[in-house]
Formats: sequence, C-alpha cells, structure tokens
Amino acid sequence: MDEYQTEEETAFIVEDVSKIIKESVEAAIGGSTYQHSRVNQWTTSVVEQCLSQLSKLGKPFKYIVTCIIMQKNGAGLQTASACFWDNSTDGKMNHYIIENTVLNYHTLGKLQARIHR
Amino acid sequence: MDEYHNGNEGSFNSEEADNIVKECIENVVGGEDYSQSQVNKWTASIVERCLTQLVKQGKPYKFIVTCAVMQKTGAGLHTANSCYWDTSMDGSSTVRWENRTMYCVVSVFAVAIA
Repeated sequence: MDEYQTEEETAFIVEDVSKIIKESVEAAIGGSTYQHSRVNQWTTSVVEQCLSQLSKLGKPFKYIVTCIIMQKNGAGLQTASACFWDNSTDGKMNHYIIENTVLNYHTLGKLQARIHR
Repeated sequence: MDEYHNGNEGSFNSEEADNIVKECIENVVGGEDYSQSQVNKWTASIVERCLTQLVKQGKPYKFIVTCAVMQKTGAGLHTANSCYWDTSMDGSSTVRWENRTMYCVVSVFAVAIA
C-alpha cells in the first residue's frame, strides 16, 4: 500500500526557496566587487550553498541550480530557458540580483523524484 | 523480475546532446552580429529548438535547457551549476559557442523519468 505524502510536504514554497537563494548569494559575494580571480570560487560557493540548503528541506525533489555572474561594463546579456517536464509536479524560479559591479542570475529547477518504498 | 538496461540506454548521452545543441545554435545565430533588438528572439529560438530536437529522441527523460547570450565587450562572465539528482541516470552537458561579436552558453539537463 503506497503512503501518500501530504500536500505540504510536496509543495514548492517560493518564499522559502527565495530566502535560501538570497542568503546564499549574500554569504558568498555580499558587498564584493567583481574580481576575475575570485569569481570561480563565488559561483561554486553560491550553487553549493543553495543546493545544500534546498536538500535540507527534505522534499521529494531533484534540484538543478544554475548561477551566472557577469561583470558590469555595459555588455548586453540575454538568457532563456525551456523545460520539458510534468507541469503538475515540476517547477522553476529565477532570481536576479544587481549589486554595484556584479550581476547575479539564478535559476532553480525542481523535478519530482519518485520515492520508492 | 526487474528489467536491466545496458549502460547506453540507462544513462544520458551527452555527446549526442552536444551535437544537437551546436547545430541549433549555428542555425539561429551562426553568422549574425550581436543585436540587442534580436537577442531576445534568438535565445528563445535556441532553447525551443534544442528542446524539440532532444524530445524527438524519444528517451524517457525530462529536459531543462538554458541559454545565455552575451555581447563581447571584454566583460567577464562566469557560470556554474550544481545538481541534486540520481547520478547514475541523470546527466547534463554544456556547450560554449562564440563568434566575433558574442558568446553563447547553452546547458542541457536531463532527468530520468523513473
């Protein structure tokens, strides 16, 4: 007999996730100026932080987190994404931050993972 | 009795995905110069085409395709992604493409349908 999880356990709570992303970004680069030598470390740090906080939520989801950091010097940047999944269970959110010299753009995708019992 | 899939069927073929993506990028922006008025259309077109081609393969996967197009002005750009999934079945691939006036980075994520 399958156990059904309550809606609360399986829902994607936007505020929680938004908070996680903001905190991860603040912790990694809050107040910093763009530095070519450090940006590698920043992107890695941001995605890892986000992912570990998200997995701690304990929801039955797989996650994909992407992060783009771009130096502000007037260049144009355009991004897009498309997804082929199950609209009833899966979803994504984008988060966009511009600080003094750093543009930080996050995409978080979550897909329902089957829990086998 | 469980059916076992051999390595090829079970995991994501990133080389094939790379070829599909490269072809889509070439078709959309190959030979074009960066244009602010068109770039919106280009990124949408690239992700749609890639997704359509990937789905046509008929494999049991959900897909996420992301695309970033950046004008070449000397600015630094760095991207990273991290995934929490089943490493034996799921996979991703990233293609970096450039011409004289712009960079294009496309990432494909494939998550197996259980």
